[in-house]
Amino acid sequence: MNRDRITRKRAVVSVEDLQMIYRVGKVEVPALRGVDFTIQAGEFVAVMGPSGCGKSTLLHLIGGLLKPTAGRILIDGVDISSVSDVKRTEIRRLKMGFVFQSYNLLSTLTAKENIELAQQIQGSGRYEEGSAREILQLLGLEEKMGHTPSELSGGEQQRVAIARAVISRPAILLADEPTGSLDSENSRMVLDMLQGLNEMYGQTIIIITHDSEAASTADRTIEMRDGKIRNRDQPVLYAMEEKHS
Amino acid sequence: MFKLILQNLRQRPARALVSVVAVALGVVLLLVSLGLSYGQLMDTAQRTKGIGGDFILQPSDASLFFALNSGNLPVKVKRVIEEVEGVGAVTPILAKFLGDKFHLIFGIDPESFSGVNQDLSFVAGKRFSGPREVIIDTIYANSKQLSVGDPIQLLGHQFTVAGVFRQGTGARVLLPLNTLQELNGTPEKATMFFIRAKEGRSLEQVYDALQGRFENYRITKAADLQAMIMDSTPVFKQFVSAMVFISVTISFLIILLAMYSTITERTREIGILKALGASRTYIIQLILNESLLICVAGVVLGFGLTYVAIQAIFAVFPSIPVTITLFWRVASAVVALAGGLLGALYPAIKASQMDPVRALGYE
Repeated sequence: MNRDRITRKRAVVSVEDLQMIYRVGKVEVPALRGVDFTIQAGEFVAVMGPSGCGKSTLLHLIGGLLKPTAGRILIDGVDISSVSDVKRTEIRRLKMGFVFQSYNLLSTLTAKENIELAQQIQGSGRYEEGSAREILQLLGLEEKMGHTPSELSGGEQQRVAIARAVISRPAILLADEPTGSLDSENSRMVLDMLQGLNEMYGQTIIIITHDSEAASTADRTIEMRDGKIRNRDQPVLYAMEEKHS
Repeated sequence: MFKLILQNLRQRPARALVSVVAVALGVVLLLVSLGLSYGQLMDTAQRTKGIGGDFILQPSDASLFFALNSGNLPVKVKRVIEEVEGVGAVTPILAKFLGDKFHLIFGIDPESFSGVNQDLSFVAGKRFSGPREVIIDTIYANSKQLSVGDPIQLLGHQFTVAGVFRQGTGARVLLPLNTLQELNGTPEKATMFFIRAKEGRSLEQVYDALQGRFENYRITKAADLQAMIMDSTPVFKQFVSAMVFISVTISFLIILLAMYSTITERTREIGILKALGASRTYIIQLILNESLLICVAGVVLGFGLTYVAIQAIFAVFPSIPVTITLFWRVASAVVALAGGLLGALYPAIKASQMDPVRALGYE
């Protein structure tokens, strides 16, 4: 754990009274009902909770993919809920990396090309460790860099997706159920990668998960229910014990 | 971005190919139709100019499309023209359009004709010397497989080919003026006079003198002939506009359809790009560049198919003139690209405005 290191760092994500209501026709469906928390730079946080509790909505809001109905989301001190769509896109490009349950690699491009495209969009040169080839070598995927997603296993696809998400060294890595489609062996590998990124590079990671083992990799969990935070600063061990009791 | 575009086109080869071929057909349609009509007009202008002389005198209501005119000018007007200051030579010509053969024949007076025309050169035979002899140009001879001494049927009468002249002078078939006047039922009449100024005389002064003497006639300077034919051609400009409109519409609709179905199929991909931080401009560029690539390929293919189409036309109708200028090649490319880009604009803007979360959830 890097808790001591975290306490000396600045807040990279601050969420204040966040509310999100989806409108389906004339019906209003509240997804978030006033959520507050802060995540420090270099922290690895797992957001847990049952399906429909608002976890993914929360991740999409932090990532600037959605605009909240009310409340504020501060990313490195900038309130992305009040900026223009163009500015929000720029913040997403410069500060966020996404990892999805279904990998979401571009099917027509090879593993290397997927990473290079992300570099191109995000502006190359922000990853100190070098190019797409080097990061794939680090991940043990050197032999697969010319393969398209359909030629890769689920675990390999997710490793490429993580490489793509961090190639430009984003301030925050947002992972939505990254192990949700993987077997236990590949899940472990992916979680080790995330943990390694957090410990070696101080990468801030927010992970959405149902899986208590995945959550155990994090420094702390935020537990949600019915669009609200049930417990925001729960140490991982406590959360797991409570869940199993 | 280029790799993504290329891979997308490779992923959907049938649609890409159909789009390219459709754009190409728009280019072919524009180039071949304009090439044929423009070629016909240019050919008419050049062959009229090829008769020689500096001016053409016609009745005031006459057209430069001689097929539309009747022969109602008295040949004796020739003497009056010759008296005008600065006029060196005058020749009357009677034009007759053969509806069944769809071409013009000219009746000429060999003596005065040679005073105006100094370029007529024979590749075989010689000028006609009898009333039932004709001379034909090389294109007519080749297309009808005719040579000197062969019989030829015109206006219900049989003639003999006396000579074959190099193409570019007047009509494709020339026969004695008297014969055509007789067969046409217009004795001593001509359609127009071709006039040559005396050597060293100012053309402007001779033109003014002719205008002064023949106020109620149409006098055309040979130098202005080409531009005047283009300008006075009935519905030519409208025809060009219609062809351009059709070509633009083809490119526009095909690219609109192709790109619209592309962005629908690639909704998830657009969501991924947005999640990666791609701006609206990036998404618009992606779609526009893809359509640009299709249009460029379509233009190149269109040029190739146009060449094939023209060769096929020449093989079947050797006497049909086709002129495709560099201007029209560039214009057809611009038209195809503009139509394609306009067609891609709406899908591109729609793609750029997609909600990334919905796009990511699209199956």
